[in-house]
Amino acid sequence: MLSEYLPIVVLAALALAFAVASLVVSSLLRPHRPTPAKLAPYECGIEPQRLPKGERFPVKFYVLAMLFIVFDVETIFLFPWAVGFRRLGLFGLVEMVVFIGLVFVAYLYVWREGGLDWNEPVRRSGEREQVGEALRAG
Amino acid sequence: MTIDYHAILPELILSGTILVVLVADAFIRPRRTWLAMPISLAGVLASLIAVLTLIGSPRTTFNGTYRVDNFALLFKVFFLSVALVVLLVSLRYFREGRWYQGEYYYLLLTSFLGCVLMPSSRDLLMLFISLELVSAPGFLIAAFRKSDPRSNEAGLKFFLIGVLSSAVMLYGMSLIYGVTGTTGLYRIGAALSGTLSGGKQTLAEAAILFIVAGFAFKVSAVPFQFWAPDTYEGAPVPVAAFLATASKAAGFAGLLQLMFVAFRAEYAFWTPIFAALSIATMTIGNLVALQQRQIVRLLAYSSIAQAGYMLLPFALVSADRVVNHDAFAAATTYILIYAVMTLGAFTVVIALSRESSGLLISDFAGLMRRAPLMGVAMTTFMVSLAGIPPTGGFWAKFLVFKAGIERGGLGTALAVVMLVNSVASLYYYLLVPRQMVFVEPETDRPLASPALVTGVAALATLAILAIGVYPQLFYHFPPLSTLVGP
Repeated sequence: MLSEYLPIVVLAALALAFAVASLVVSSLLRPHRPTPAKLAPYECGIEPQRLPKGERFPVKFYVLAMLFIVFDVETIFLFPWAVGFRRLGLFGLVEMVVFIGLVFVAYLYVWREGGLDWNEPVRRSGEREQVGEALRAG
Repeated sequence: MTIDYHAILPELILSGTILVVLVADAFIRPRRTWLAMPISLAGVLASLIAVLTLIGSPRTTFNGTYRVDNFALLFKVFFLSVALVVLLVSLRYFREGRWYQGEYYYLLLTSFLGCVLMPSSRDLLMLFISLELVSAPGFLIAAFRKSDPRSNEAGLKFFLIGVLSSAVMLYGMSLIYGVTGTTGLYRIGAALSGTLSGGKQTLAEAAILFIVAGFAFKVSAVPFQFWAPDTYEGAPVPVAAFLATASKAAGFAGLLQLMFVAFRAEYAFWTPIFAALSIATMTIGNLVALQQRQIVRLLAYSSIAQAGYMLLPFALVSADRVVNHDAFAAATTYILIYAVMTLGAFTVVIALSRESSGLLISDFAGLMRRAPLMGVAMTTFMVSLAGIPPTGGFWAKFLVFKAGIERGGLGTALAVVMLVNSVASLYYYLLVPRQMVFVEPETDRPLASPALVTGVAALATLAILAIGVYPQLFYHFPPLSTLVGP
């Protein structure tokens, strides 16, 4: 049974040998004249920029990306249902309403918690954990 | 395909409660977010009643992937009772700590939804989904004390290990599907009991190894136990109680179904693995527990050692139906009694955590005088965990021991190892009562324990003593035979 895998192993070995051989041969043949432009990482022709030290991104970008994915997935699930709408009938409709209802609850939660406010989110829940608590515990 | 809505009614009620809790948390005023607890409590109670209406003939739905039989009902009642207890002891802890409350109850209930689904899942996919539903919210609530680095560590460790074990287990499941061509547990059992060609036999054994390794992480068996003490210590105490009882019992419920239904034909391959796991788990768990000075870590290592005792009956499985039945009953009974003792012990720790942040064993000094009820309760739990009569823990150990002796051969050897381990564990279990009785407290002020926490501790004490005096409560369970087929 294992012998059936032999071609895959041969292919993997050939690929590895080719990659290593091309790197070795080109390093032997090519002239070595580095310039700063040549050594710079390639970023689609844009001048590479280093971020200032200690630069932080606001965490709201992350929240936004996550929300986008949630609603994106919701849309993706709507498509196959729309295609099979007639065959799925009433049962499919009810299931879809339940599904959208679930995502809607998540939306309500995000909205009330201030996840949709870009500037200065209005923090509703007043229960922040106290730092003193942590210091005492630590 | 028709769906038997009555069969899934408890889960539907629980799901509805979860949504209500989340919406309620978003709309009630910040000072009143603790109201999420009574809402959750009502939902869990309603779900419990729905489970009780299902007692009777077994029901199957979702094309045979979901089955509600006596085994499932027993575990559902158990998980929902644990949920009630964890909810009750969480209220003051989270309110006084000013942690997020609505989100906590939401995540806790979601985890319990996974627990309740678990014993009914008779399909690899359902089993995996339930297991993930138990674990995923667990990662978050383990890290719930956000500003405490130890809690972050707890969540991160639990998350990494949990994801790793899921990946290993899922790989094993995919191999099983490749060998048998089905994901249904009963059909896998039938396929494996037939003759397999040479290569398939090896593949099936490799798959079983992967799946057992994955579950060993979940139930924190040695050598996959290292995450448990750190996670329990860093997590909020009620969450540690949940992880040590419901989450672990859910892992065992899954393991019981897999081993006794799907993989029973291959017992000659996997019983030695369980024997090794069991011996290593109880021995190392007990040895490390001897050196602990912090109560939650002590309970964590105790829970590891106890997992060793629970794994022992798996090593006794053979072709003999009677032996299998005894082993199955012993494992199930042990899991249930263990959960009551451990929940009780964590309840006392929660009461103590209001005045001691480090939760060292020395903080128990003089508790017998400062809070006699809590002192008696803690002594009962410790004595019961050590397995001394007349407590429930004795019968749990006795059943496992008896099953081992009656199996003979390897079983006798395992039973002897277990006996030696139980004696060794006496030392560290009795450390706590020793502190409470013989060491002078720094202050004579009575321990201020919330009424709910005290009530739960008293109830658990009564339950442990009741099982100890009247073991038939657990002993003659008709449900226990439903999985061990002919």
